[in-house]
Amino acid sequence: MTEQTGSAPILEVRDVVRSFDGLVAVDGASFTIERGTITALIGPNGAGKSTLFNVVTGFNPAEHGAVRFRGKAITGLPPHRISGLGLARTFQLTKVFNAMSVLDNLLVSAPDHPGEHLVNSFLRAPRVRRQERLIGDRARALLDTFSLADKHDEYAGELSGGQRKLLELARILMLGPDMVLLDEPMSGVNPTLGRQLLDHIHRLRKEEGTTFLFVEHDMDVVMQNADSVIVMAEGKVIARGLPEEIRRDPAVLEAYLGSASRRRKGSDG
Amino acid sequence: MSSFILSLLSPAVLSLDFWISVVLLVGIAGIFSLGIQLNAGSSGLLNVGHVGFMAIGAYTMAILVVDLGVNLWLAILAGIAVAVLTSLLIGLPSLRLRHDYFAIATIAFAEVVRLFAQNARGLTGGNQGKSGYDGAWRAIAEPMSAFFVDLGWTDSHLLPLAIVTWVIYLLTLAGVSYAVRTPWGRVLRAVREDEDAASALGKNVLSYKLQSLAIAAALAAVAGVIFALDIRFLVPEEFLPDFTFLAYAAVILGGLGSYAGVFVGTITIWVLLEVTRFLDLPISSDRIAAIRFILIGLVLIFLSMRKPEGLLGERREMVLRHD
Repeated sequence: MTEQTGSAPILEVRDVVRSFDGLVAVDGASFTIERGTITALIGPNGAGKSTLFNVVTGFNPAEHGAVRFRGKAITGLPPHRISGLGLARTFQLTKVFNAMSVLDNLLVSAPDHPGEHLVNSFLRAPRVRRQERLIGDRARALLDTFSLADKHDEYAGELSGGQRKLLELARILMLGPDMVLLDEPMSGVNPTLGRQLLDHIHRLRKEEGTTFLFVEHDMDVVMQNADSVIVMAEGKVIARGLPEEIRRDPAVLEAYLGSASRRRKGSDG
Repeated sequence: MSSFILSLLSPAVLSLDFWISVVLLVGIAGIFSLGIQLNAGSSGLLNVGHVGFMAIGAYTMAILVVDLGVNLWLAILAGIAVAVLTSLLIGLPSLRLRHDYFAIATIAFAEVVRLFAQNARGLTGGNQGKSGYDGAWRAIAEPMSAFFVDLGWTDSHLLPLAIVTWVIYLLTLAGVSYAVRTPWGRVLRAVREDEDAASALGKNVLSYKLQSLAIAAALAAVAGVIFALDIRFLVPEEFLPDFTFLAYAAVILGGLGSYAGVFVGTITIWVLLEVTRFLDLPISSDRIAAIRFILIGLVLIFLSMRKPEGLLGERREMVLRHD
């Protein structure tokens, strides 16, 4: 909160283009995200929202354009390097490590663990054990916060869909990220767990100054939780503003209704 | 029941010399299978060209000793190093691809190695074979054998090699099963479960896969060197893909991801394979050879129906895991 006023945006996306086999998914999208904000990214299906996430996090690098995170150019960096800079993400289809315990899902997410170098695990066992205790405490505290403590020993693949979403969020919090991209965090989550998830997001923004960008289809969730909304359609950013402005923006209505009418006509494909 | 089975086998199956050769073979196959368990079981890498690394270890050692006069122990280290380097060359391009492409790349690699050994006669001796690399080992082993013969236990010359092999096997088994329980092994499991999630959490997925493959290649090379000292005469047909597949059989029989499992699995498979050599049936030896493999197949089919997770595998983990 203290360094917010007047500071440079935490994320800058400029003229980003990404296509797949000639099909342009992101077509010159540009926007910036300010530190400590919660921003919603909305748009009809196929607008390029998930691809944009993949461009920013390095999974599908941009063909043109530039992405800067905390002032540093990250275009073309591999995903693990971008993550290491403090930009974390979740996936549209929840990706937890199914055949690992809930606790191990968190422990494996801790950054800069000396024991993840094989040589250290053999030769510096005391240091590795110390780090294990340290992250073990952090992991258990997170499990408490996310009401998953009694599940710590279960396989992550045996959790409910909503619990997996919580675990995925808890897991990236082990990273201590500056910014988090959430791809449809509320989908498949029951209202109670969904409410919890949103509470965690607001608490983290308040307590840690974490910046959030999330893709969401539920307009009530967007209107009630986002400071600002970015609207994408056909690979481009077509609007940006406060939730109540976006709700009345004719270009946004056109994009949604337009694509809805196209879908009705082309219902065979 | 057991006396019935024994009556089907020729009496030679009871000799100590035979069992020493089985113990040695189990040790070699055990070191070899350890690499498969690390790759397939703990890292989700379908390395089906493991025997190629074994062949590279054995042939590098033999060529260096015979043709260049290198000291045997240095040549063994060089054999391991060349196998590891090759694994990095194979892995660097193919581990970026989908799992099935990696499987295809590795089996093709192993066949290329074998066919090269068959045809590069000047270097490998081709199908005529290569020998004369084990002098330094025999200089040590023969006095040891003589000691055991004097004790009157056995006249097998393989006992020293079997002992050394098992010391190496138990050390590597302990080492690898410790390594996969460290935070390093935890990252391997995460990579096996979901590469994208692992890299989103800051793990260098390619690096971990290469480490897993390189360690496996080193283990295969060690097995190859010991195997070369055992057979004393290297021919390419010792390095058929079957050897890799039998290691997979041992891994599946024991339980994917279980190191106690692959230990039990390897013993079971190789004792079955070797003991059935002595099947004394009124049919041709070709058919007896075929029956041995049918038997292994039946054991695996029976197991996959009754206990699909393997003898010591985790059933819930098998259902959930992603390969």
